[in-house]
Amino acid sequence: MNDKSTQAAGATLLDERAGDAALEAPNYDNDFDAIIVGAGLAGSAAALTMAQRGLEPLLIERGKYPGAKNVFGGVLYTPTIRELTDLDSAPFERYIGEKRFSMLSHDDETAVSLKPGDWHREPHNDSYTVFRGDFDEWFAEQAVEAGATLVTETTVTDLVREGGGIVGVQTDRPDGEIRAPYVVLAEGGNSLVSEGADLKAREDRTNIAVAAKEVLEFPENDEAIEDRFRLVGDAGVSYHYFGEGAVGEAYGGGFIYTNDDTVSVGVAYSLDDAATKRQSPEETLNLFKSHPAVAPLLKDARTVEYSAKTIPEGGAETMPDLVHDGAVIVGDAAGLVLNNGVHLEGTNMAVESGYYAGDTIAKAAENGKTGASALQSYPERLENSYVVQNLERYAWLTERVEEDRDLLFEQLPRAIADASTEYFRMDRSPKATHAKAAKQRIFETLGGWKGATKLALRYRKLVR
Amino acid sequence: MKWTIVVGVKQVPDADEVGIDPDTGRLDRANAPAVMNPPDRDALEAALSIKDEVDARVVAMTMGPPMATPVLEEAVAMGCDDAVLITDRAFAGSDTWPTSLTLARAAEYLGADIVMAGEETTDSSTGQVPPGIAAHNGWAQLTYVEDVEARPEANQLIATRDVEGGYERVAADLPVVVAVAYGEFEPRPAPLHRKLYAENDFEPMQLTAEDLGIKDEVGLDVSPTSVGGMETVQPVERKSEVIDSADDLADQIQEVML
Ligand SMILES: Cc1cc2nc3c(=O)[nH]c(=O)nc-3n(C[C@H](O)[C@H](O)[C@H](O)COP(=O)(O)OP(=O)(O)OC[C@H]3O[C@@H](n4cnc5c(N)ncnc54)[C@H](O)[C@@H]3O)c2cc1C
Ligand SMILES: Cc1cc2nc3c(=O)[nH]c(=O)nc-3n(C[C@H](O)[C@H](O)[C@H](O)COP(=O)(O)OP(=O)(O)OC[C@H]3O[C@@H](n4cnc5c(N)ncnc54)[C@H](O)[C@@H]3O)c2cc1C
Repeated sequence: MNDKSTQAAGATLLDERAGDAALEAPNYDNDFDAIIVGAGLAGSAAALTMAQRGLEPLLIERGKYPGAKNVFGGVLYTPTIRELTDLDSAPFERYIGEKRFSMLSHDDETAVSLKPGDWHREPHNDSYTVFRGDFDEWFAEQAVEAGATLVTETTVTDLVREGGGIVGVQTDRPDGEIRAPYVVLAEGGNSLVSEGADLKAREDRTNIAVAAKEVLEFPENDEAIEDRFRLVGDAGVSYHYFGEGAVGEAYGGGFIYTNDDTVSVGVAYSLDDAATKRQSPEETLNLFKSHPAVAPLLKDARTVEYSAKTIPEGGAETMPDLVHDGAVIVGDAAGLVLNNGVHLEGTNMAVESGYYAGDTIAKAAENGKTGASALQSYPERLENSYVVQNLERYAWLTERVEEDRDLLFEQLPRAIADASTEYFRMDRSPKATHAKAAKQRIFETLGGWKGATKLALRYRKLVR
Repeated sequence: MKWTIVVGVKQVPDADEVGIDPDTGRLDRANAPAVMNPPDRDALEAALSIKDEVDARVVAMTMGPPMATPVLEEAVAMGCDDAVLITDRAFAGSDTWPTSLTLARAAEYLGADIVMAGEETTDSSTGQVPPGIAAHNGWAQLTYVEDVEARPEANQLIATRDVEGGYERVAADLPVVVAVAYGEFEPRPAPLHRKLYAENDFEPMQLTAEDLGIKDEVGLDVSPTSVGGMETVQPVERKSEVIDSADDLADQIQEVML
């Protein structure tokens, strides 16, 4: 041994500190009040709610930071987040000042644009474009500031059961099992843990949509976004596209959202189509981007990021049991996404479900109760909320649109485009002739008055 | 006797996230998140692998601002028994000379038998610090080490060193400073409960320049490095030509070679 006698005063200090048991073999079993799998919107909302009620939840996230792995082309809906925390420092890109719905045939476009003045005023209809990489990190930070603990780069691989109940989770780390009285599964659409533990059935491919998305920048043109989308200040747009020009023969749609100085462009369509029609997400996206009505918006853009993901689109019928002995399922993992063509919403329902789950657990913990019955008020409250009501309201739509898809996505867009060509035609015949031809073109497609009435009846619930 | 292995770890900007400012062409380090110098994870692994074999304690040290504490937490999460933050305003502006002096004194203070370090850092990459520690303390040094083998009975460490055209095995009497070759030691993942402990409940031991008796021997004034100037090198425009057939290509090559 070297001579440590005089110099090594610090060694004594090290010896003293070494007596600390935690330093030797730390153990956090049942130290946390709850374990939340996934620091996405649903997970952080649950963690924040519990922390605000005085609990100490543990958020486990597989990404390097929350949001690192989240693909999202999108618009974040904030009615519930606004209630939970102060949004002043939230990393928003732009608020949505215009929604535009557009039918694309092979080379025509017919569009409707909505720009209510109200959307330009706070709180901007609670609709903002965000980058999930930034927003999720910020949202998880709010939970941590309120008292939650976040651990990243850790993947939950399984649930730990004892006597039939769920008592903790297993992670991919050494010494990776950890226990807590409640587990919240907030792992998103690709819910391997819930499925692996038989808490929900494996998604069937007709119930899943694939999405491909790109973030594009305009390196040579600083004004491209403001000019092309006619924006002032923080205003932004969400453009939605349907029809064969958007996603070919598949059932789904395309979208363009404006961020601060980039745009998100993407397509989302039934996984069934991706598998059976051999239409790859990348090809579909490229076709959409090159449509004559879309391409000019994206001219000279450069791809910053490409990503692909699945979205559950089952709606109310495919919702799994949300409560188990010791665990609840929230957000996309519970299938709480509305994806029916007119609406693509999941962020608001993820937060809403996380909030109800967190609040329910806080109440159960207060009463010292565990087990499925103690958590039963979570699904009950969710069912009485807009979340399940919306999902039920639109459940029929997906099915019906699927049945009518040739008509709705191919024949009708073409007919409308042809009809407008007729109606506005500049030649030397009277307008009455044009109007008649236009009407004729639409009627042929719909199958006359009878066909049109039938179609209207089939979709009347949309406006009820 | 229990060995004390002290591992030097440094916080650097995450090289994956360091961008290049498109206007000035300079590296934009300010916006990159701070991470542990990647080669230092190899050093930690080398130290912990010795502890797997012999009775030892592994202590991480960093000289830096309190903001550097996360690298110590990461070291404790991986398996270090303790960690030391050497921090003092007096250290500001230190170059490799006072930095290695400080780390040398700290190693002595902690009673180190072995000091483990990375080959070099990804931000300054001088590789001078580990030999500097050895020089200040008059200890043996082993650099570019690919493998280590403990001989506690002889109070020696045997190292396999990467040398031109092969490797050599060298035995050093303790105390010794070891700089490990980057990529040779696959760092172990942090166990879950240790990671939770390190990130949430662990507080490092703190040392100041005064604790180490080097108050007047550190900082900008005693740093011999002086920066003469900086220059951005413009890339040379290279001539390129597309050649359609293999025969033409062969002709072209012949022309250039003649
Ligand atoms: C392309 C696309 C566009 C969309 N557009 C919109 C839109 O415009 N508006 C809208 O409201 N909704 C939109 N959605 C839906 C919305 O993204 C989701 O509904 C929402 O993100 C669900 O939140 P979540 O917290 O349930 O799941 P996620 O946001 O998916 O979060 C799950 C988290 O859990 C982590 N995780 C997963 N497994 C594990 C594990 N085993 N261990 C540890 N961590 C794990 C993940 O890394 C992730 O951070 C879109 C979805 C896609 C794919
Ligand atoms: C030309 C030049 C000028 C500089 N001028 C200044 C200046 O004016 N002010 C200033 O503050 N800095 C300055 N520096 C930076 C400073 O000298 C170095 O960051 C520091 O001394 C460590 O050197 P290094 O990063 O090259 O380490 P290396 O010698 O490359 O590091 C090798 C190993 O030593 C260990 N190690 C290195 N540094 C530490 C540490 N701090 N704590 C624990 N372990 C460590 C690690 O294990 C590391 O892997 C300058 C650097 C250069 C090249």
